[in-house]
Amino acid sequence: MWQYILKRILQFIPTLILISLLAFAISVAAPGDPVERLLNAAQQEGAIGSQRVATEKLKAELRHRLGLDLPLFYFSIGTMADPDTLYRFPDKAHRAMLQRLTRHYGNWPYVERYYHTINAAIDTVSHFGAAQAKRLSTEEKDRLLRVQFDLRSLQELESHDLIIHKLQSITRLLDTAQLAVLLPIARKVKSAYEAILNHPEKWRAYIPRLIWYGTRNQYHVWLFGNQPWFRENTDPSKERRGVLRGDFGISFRDQQPVIKRIIERFPWSFTLSIFSVFFAYLIAIPIGIYSAYRRDSWFDRASSVTLFILYSLPSFFVGTLLLVIFANPDVLDWFPEGGVQDPAIFDPNWPLWQKIQHWAPYLVLPLITYTYGSFAFLSRQMRVAMLDVINQDFIRTARAKGLPERVVVLKHVLRNSLLPIITIFSNIFPMAIGGSIIIETIFSIPGMGLEIYQSILNYDYPMIVAVFTIFGVLTLIGYLFADIMYAVVDPRISYGKK
Amino acid sequence: MEPREHITHEEFSFRKYAWRQFKKNKIALFSLYILGFLVFVAVFADLIATDQPLYARYRGKTFFPAFQVLVNPTHTDSVWNESTGTWEKIQFDIAPWKQMKLESAVWAPIAYSPDKSDRYNRDFVGPFDEQVYKNPDGEIVPVPWYFRHYLGTNQIGQDVAAGLVHGTRISLSVGLVAVGIAAIIGIILGALAGFFGDSGLKSRRGQFWGAVLGLFFGFFYGFMVRGYAILDGINAGMLQGLWQVFLSLLLFAVILLAFTWLGKHLLGRLPWFRNPTTVPVDSVISRLIEIMNSMPRLLLILTIASLFKDKSIFLIMAILGLTSWTGIARFTRAELLRTRSLEYIQAARALGYNKRRIIFGHALPNSLAPVFISISFGIAAAILAESSLSFLGIGVPDDVVTWGSLLSAGRTHYDAWWMVVFPGFAIFLTVTIYTIIGEALRDALDPRLKQ
Repeated sequence: MWQYILKRILQFIPTLILISLLAFAISVAAPGDPVERLLNAAQQEGAIGSQRVATEKLKAELRHRLGLDLPLFYFSIGTMADPDTLYRFPDKAHRAMLQRLTRHYGNWPYVERYYHTINAAIDTVSHFGAAQAKRLSTEEKDRLLRVQFDLRSLQELESHDLIIHKLQSITRLLDTAQLAVLLPIARKVKSAYEAILNHPEKWRAYIPRLIWYGTRNQYHVWLFGNQPWFRENTDPSKERRGVLRGDFGISFRDQQPVIKRIIERFPWSFTLSIFSVFFAYLIAIPIGIYSAYRRDSWFDRASSVTLFILYSLPSFFVGTLLLVIFANPDVLDWFPEGGVQDPAIFDPNWPLWQKIQHWAPYLVLPLITYTYGSFAFLSRQMRVAMLDVINQDFIRTARAKGLPERVVVLKHVLRNSLLPIITIFSNIFPMAIGGSIIIETIFSIPGMGLEIYQSILNYDYPMIVAVFTIFGVLTLIGYLFADIMYAVVDPRISYGKK
Repeated sequence: MEPREHITHEEFSFRKYAWRQFKKNKIALFSLYILGFLVFVAVFADLIATDQPLYARYRGKTFFPAFQVLVNPTHTDSVWNESTGTWEKIQFDIAPWKQMKLESAVWAPIAYSPDKSDRYNRDFVGPFDEQVYKNPDGEIVPVPWYFRHYLGTNQIGQDVAAGLVHGTRISLSVGLVAVGIAAIIGIILGALAGFFGDSGLKSRRGQFWGAVLGLFFGFFYGFMVRGYAILDGINAGMLQGLWQVFLSLLLFAVILLAFTWLGKHLLGRLPWFRNPTTVPVDSVISRLIEIMNSMPRLLLILTIASLFKDKSIFLIMAILGLTSWTGIARFTRAELLRTRSLEYIQAARALGYNKRRIIFGHALPNSLAPVFISISFGIAAAILAESSLSFLGIGVPDDVVTWGSLLSAGRTHYDAWWMVVFPGFAIFLTVTIYTIIGEALRDALDPRLKQ
């Protein structure tokens, strides 16, 4: 038995690594630049000014803090054309442009030079604008701004036609008496671009190459952290502890540690799923037993039909319907329509009992929505499992021995049909961490489901990756737990050597 | 040949037997009729709910606007207006038919299109509320019964009944396409895992390593080198994207096959590469299934859907299909594990048929019964998943009316009970009939479950 458990746990490891890799890959493919998004969020709150230099510096710091200035993985498979230092370029859109141009023309040195020429041109133009501010007319200033804008869009453009168009537009804009001084710069950018076209090495893009980055990469830091494991951490800039030490990184939404948010939100989902499973057992097991015992009676038929209907009712339909009926001032105003507490009344210093009294009415409708589906499922499973057992020889033997009917049903039959109960139970923890996105969204319960929904809407990938990983671990533990319990309940199941 | 004719195929046809069993289940048969009705509604949605008349006589000319708009690419026609003495242009899909002085007209059963809003019945007008319309004389009057919004309207005055009718098309096609994709992946992987097991697929080392190299180079040339081509294709439109993906897959397959062949015939000449090796097909595929099952499915679907900037219903179909094949794969695997040791497969092996012919020609066709069952349940699950996504407002374009998106509007407006009850019932009905059909199929097809 122990050998079996150990073997299973060892088998988890590759599965978990693959799950985390998959989640990680999804987060990398996410659109937009997380640093950009974080800064925008901060800017909206008025935390920082809009000075460009300050922003650039802040971006660099943030990138470093989030670990985004590292290569993604231990190695990367690319083409001979790809540079091995592309990850160092801070802007995601710029990286995309550089990657695409190199993939197309295969000559990275020229592409890099082109990029730096554009950067230098932007600097020169903005310096020129600042230095000559007094001598320029408003029209010329406006032209200068448009030149800067065009240059900046060149940093992100990859289509040949659009680049040519922008280059022409820049030359046209600079074609005035005062600005003509800057024309050589535009020419320089243009010739840098032409150099790419004139020195193509396209064959490079067709030869695969493996680049090895070592342990200084985003995935490694995510998994193991960058703090030392067995010594005191002396470097304050190294603040990642890694998933293995319970640190899931920093949320892209508010820079809070992800794990802190999970700990805040988890209790609600956990409470709901624990209670819903409890009620599901409480209702489903007796119904299952009774309808299997009195098979084909009117009770069996009626409950079968009812349970079938309940089972196929979509939860978002039932949830919304419950709200429309029981939380609607026009129909029945029995329950509050959402949330978990009334901030006007709720006082965190209340004794626990009073808190529970306050929360209870908020949780009734969600709990019903959470429960009805699983109890319908469970009763149906229970009935089938009981029917399997009830006609077997050992039950007849038990009756023949003269055991009372109660003992036969509750001890012999029930014990042997516990498998569905175990299966449901092993799902509690993954259910709680995944929350129910739909139910928590309908009832605005601040649990994991709502958190995940908001994370998806806001592209908060550290959170999503964390949930994927924890969900995977808990599901696998649940499978193992179920397997062990099967063996405990049914001695015929054994995982030892045959 | 003669003696065999005594026992004809027909008498023992499993298909006929199963159909007889299925027909005994009256509820399932009834569900099948309802499904037929839903398919009918989905196919003819454009004629059942449309604001254009099916037949109209206007200024002495006969029109069939609802039909003409389907076949006439310009959607326009003109008619001689005698009072002004000019040609009057009519664009079928824009013309305010209800306000025109038609000499006679036959209207669709639901005289509204799902995407057009009725400005006279805005802000959640209920099925039993007073509804008005502007008649050809320009007066706002109570509507005649055939212009009523039978199931009410939403905030901007779109007809709920029309939305339901057109939503049927989306729901049914999402179920069909998503499960189609899932079935292709699931049946192939499940069949390979079940038929070969961990020790059934033997090959020369040369062939094995050739295939490994082929996978790498196939992926490299098919999807890395051509990555931008695919991306551009997808950005240019769904069809072009699919075409580029198809080209890449083709390239991938060609490279894989070429390397496998080279590995077998070139590498295979070296002594070490000539030795046989077994490929643990079952372990690999089972692990893949385990990984898929250890991920929160709705979260996975939502996350992948949020990666794409442009929402599209095809994308949802593809995502649903790519994430829901595990059930079908497990059923197929279990069934083939059983089938592969049966005598007729042994006989096929003894006859020296190649493996592809044995799997796809002999083993699979006789193991598809449980797959049909899980396809039926899978369609129910896919329809449910799509409506959940629309309900949450992720993945489905905003201008497409689906059952889920109708329902989600009812979430914020409790007074509008018709926005909750009718779409919810439609989803419930469809999911239920697929489930009933699935259970009836299970009883009819799976002899082991019969008493």
